[in-house]
Amino acid sequence: MISIPMEFGLILAGTLFVLGLIGLMVRRNIIFVLMSIEIMINAAGAAFIFAGAKWGEPDGQIMFLFILAMSAAEVAVGLGLILQIYHKFQTLDGDTVSKMRG
Amino acid sequence: MTATDFFSLMPLIIIATAAVIVMILIAVKRNHSVVAGVSLAAFALAFLSLFRITAVTPHTLPPLLIIDNYALFYMGLIFAASFAVTLLSYNYLKSYNFNLEEYYILLLLAALGASTLAISQHFVSIFLGLEILSVSLYALIAYVRTWERNLEAGLKYLILAAQSSAFLLFGMALVYASLGSMNINDMAQLLSGANLGPLALIGFALMIVGIGFKLAVVPFHLWTPDVYHGAPAPVTAFIATVSKGGVFALLLRFFVAIDIYNYESLVIAFSVIAIASMIFGNVLALLQNNVKRILAYSSIAHLGYLLVAFLSGNNLSVDAATLYLTAYAITIMGAFSIVSLLSGKEQESDKLEDYRGLFWRRPVLSAVFTAMMFSLAGIPLTAGFIGKYFILSAGVHSAKWLLVIVLVLTSVIGLFYYLRIVVAMYSAPTDDMPSQPGISRSVSFSGVLVLAGLTILLVWFGVFPQGFISLIQNMVSSLQDVYLSMIV
Repeated sequence: MISIPMEFGLILAGTLFVLGLIGLMVRRNIIFVLMSIEIMINAAGAAFIFAGAKWGEPDGQIMFLFILAMSAAEVAVGLGLILQIYHKFQTLDGDTVSKMRG
Repeated sequence: MTATDFFSLMPLIIIATAAVIVMILIAVKRNHSVVAGVSLAAFALAFLSLFRITAVTPHTLPPLLIIDNYALFYMGLIFAASFAVTLLSYNYLKSYNFNLEEYYILLLLAALGASTLAISQHFVSIFLGLEILSVSLYALIAYVRTWERNLEAGLKYLILAAQSSAFLLFGMALVYASLGSMNINDMAQLLSGANLGPLALIGFALMIVGIGFKLAVVPFHLWTPDVYHGAPAPVTAFIATVSKGGVFALLLRFFVAIDIYNYESLVIAFSVIAIASMIFGNVLALLQNNVKRILAYSSIAHLGYLLVAFLSGNNLSVDAATLYLTAYAITIMGAFSIVSLLSGKEQESDKLEDYRGLFWRRPVLSAVFTAMMFSLAGIPLTAGFIGKYFILSAGVHSAKWLLVIVLVLTSVIGLFYYLRIVVAMYSAPTDDMPSQPGISRSVSFSGVLVLAGLTILLVWFGVFPQGFISLIQNMVSSLQDVYLSMIV
């Protein structure tokens, strides 16, 4: 079996993370913003798995399970909030919702 | 797990059980007073249980948790603040007629998350504690969902907090990749003064971004004013005290353990953050016309002051930081209690005009609010003065002149906007003032209890600080001893 060096994995995770961050900053639709955040969090999860594989420990994968559970909770609350926002504002555009300034 | 393990986790078990009990109670019959009573009892019990636990500290539950006196002190702070927030919330929510009871589950869980942070010594427990705290806060901030501002604040907090968690996680992953351990003590031993590799350095930088967001320090502060402004006033008090207290406890433990003062790059990064927070927080607060927003910007500045204590890096620094955080928690809780007692369903009394001439209608409330503002500004005879004095002496002790000078100069700016609120309260009322139903509402018993308690603490702390100081020294000095013994 060919083993892939950890650095490759970290580069992949880093690329995903940056893509998520770009999406977060560029997108205006709240659902896409939430998806971008999910990509960032999962990139971090992938990085944990690569790191765990490097050290030959299960810790990285355990951490990934926690991350998975947490991001599910986060999305559940997030979507609930988005539903309320859609009821109230009839839009999912982040800039329309944002009224507080200063 | 042994009996001692369970015993030392007693406060967390009490809070978690209370959350479940409240859920069951809601399923049986909805009753706001009963649910609030159970939550109060849980916080009180958890607080009292801390005194029993001192017998077994320091106790480690490897690899995730450590219960030492330092953690007990911060947990005490968290539970006391949550107790006050529960009383305020009961008072605040009474006027609403939607489902109120779930609010207390979220409050209990958020306090659970914050206290988990105080006892964490492993990335897994840090992450879980932080997320329990944040996810509960998303829902708490947006709890009064009939309010547009509330939903907006909830959404903003959700996006920024989730994003900061992602940064924190990625940083943790990189640190783990480069060091091979997620336990703070193991990390301390692996590092022990050695140079950080590039991977670990990037990892720590990303973690600083993540923690910086949670603490709301410049340049990661953008969410603070909007969330403070949009959240219900008791929840704002909760964020300012419990959430920041928990995260700060963690930061302090982490950096004392790895001995941050050996890494110049990290010290410089934090110094820049501290200076920027003090300057931006104080200057931007000048431009605000809303009391909640002023307090939000002032909280950014106060976190900057706290970092000064923490950066001085001598044996005073942990004491000074904890002392200041305690004083700040008492004060900001008092200030937000007043805002929340004056607010209600009709309106949120948070504009500066709402407070104009308040003294002539509510003299006692105004006097208390004045005391809180003086404490935030650091005027003698209040808790804030003692806290600031200790930070300054910690800074001067290790000759961090730049930090000390910025602290003194920005405190003067701070004085100006705190006094602006005070002046507004004492200015003569005019006839053409809009009617404010919230202002004239009588203060309930629970409100009086919170205010009286906080005011007594504030003045007592300010006039006879000796007791508090020796308590804090006894409790938190253990932090440095524990880790020093470990490194040697």
